[in-house]
Amino acid sequence: MALDYFRPQLRTNDLVQDLKWNDDLRARFETDEESVLAEYPLTGEEREAIRDRDFRRLYELGLHPYLLSQLARLVYGTGEKAGTSAPAMALIRSLLGDEYDQYMANRGD
Amino acid sequence: MAEISLAVAASHAPGLTGWFDRAPEEDRQVVNEAYAALRQAIVESDIDVLLLIGNDHVANHRVGSGIDFTFGLADRHHGPDEWFKPWLRVPDYDIPGAPEVATALYDRLRGTTGVTVDGARENLRFDDNVSVPVTKLGLADLGVPLIPVLQNCTIPPVPDERACYAFGAALGAAIHDGLPGDLRVGLFGSGGLSHEPGGPRYLEIDEKFDRWWLDLLEAGDHDKILAEATFDRMEEAGSGGTAELLSWVVVLGAIGERPCTSLGYVAFEDWRCGVGAVRWDMTATNDTAEVK
Repeated sequence: MALDYFRPQLRTNDLVQDLKWNDDLRARFETDEESVLAEYPLTGEEREAIRDRDFRRLYELGLHPYLLSQLARLVYGTGEKAGTSAPAMALIRSLLGDEYDQYMANRGD
Repeated sequence: MAEISLAVAASHAPGLTGWFDRAPEEDRQVVNEAYAALRQAIVESDIDVLLLIGNDHVANHRVGSGIDFTFGLADRHHGPDEWFKPWLRVPDYDIPGAPEVATALYDRLRGTTGVTVDGARENLRFDDNVSVPVTKLGLADLGVPLIPVLQNCTIPPVPDERACYAFGAALGAAIHDGLPGDLRVGLFGSGGLSHEPGGPRYLEIDEKFDRWWLDLLEAGDHDKILAEATFDRMEEAGSGGTAELLSWVVVLGAIGERPCTSLGYVAFEDWRCGVGAVRWDMTATNDTAEVK
């Protein structure tokens, strides 16, 4: 189950919530992501996974799936892409990894 | 003794407002007719206050808070939360609350059931959970005061179907015994049907589960519903999303066994969520209602 990996202690959970709740922080994240990440006591693994847009890794580290979808929106769904399926597709691509192409082919999309 | 004069439930998928027009005409018609029926039911039931119970979507508490249900005690409820506006594309709303009723229920329920109950005096952050039904119902025009009740459907440990049913039963008792005599109360379960937001099956809808669930509700045997439509079964049909149906289970617990009618169902892929609605008949005499 998708919730089996979830760990409330993972600080990226707090970071994504703060980004949703704080407009200034979000604006700064869009222009200077590194400075925002530096302010949070993230582990090296978390930091690297966020930088690499490695959603699967974050999922396995314990980021709540719903917040994972919101992080995808923060990264891939702002501006002109707001409300498009681009964030969901980027997230699925990362979660499924090598299985992505086959999965999409089977769906016929 | 106050009474529950309306009991309904419906999906709140953001696609219903954010990208509604992508669906074929016939699917949109099913949804619009269902919501029109819900609006009509609110008008006909002549309720004084509407409790809207829905998944919090991790939007108001830290993930480790352990809070299961949060009553919105504010004088007014406005939304949607800024972050969701580009996504939901709904008009801003500002709806009267019912602080006295909400506080009376909150006071009566905290500490009395197996779940953790909180009350928020400030405006809560509302996303699709409240914003979609408010918009699709046109609730602001109806002038019915709102009490949002946000629920933990996705952060383990999630109160399961029996815990939610018991909370609903306690809520029903609190309405009957703890509110002023002639008050007419409406219940709206907001969420579901199958979906898996942010998980590997994000693009999938489990239509078979959804139709089975609606059939179960119409058949109306609560023992059977609780035995078969468990939290784990909901998770199998889409993790982290389908279990929003626990808000419907709260309504079941509050009203006991009542005739239930499906108002329609749609599985349109781009909405990434099975969409359905039901109404329970609160006019019939209820001889069979009991706390399970």
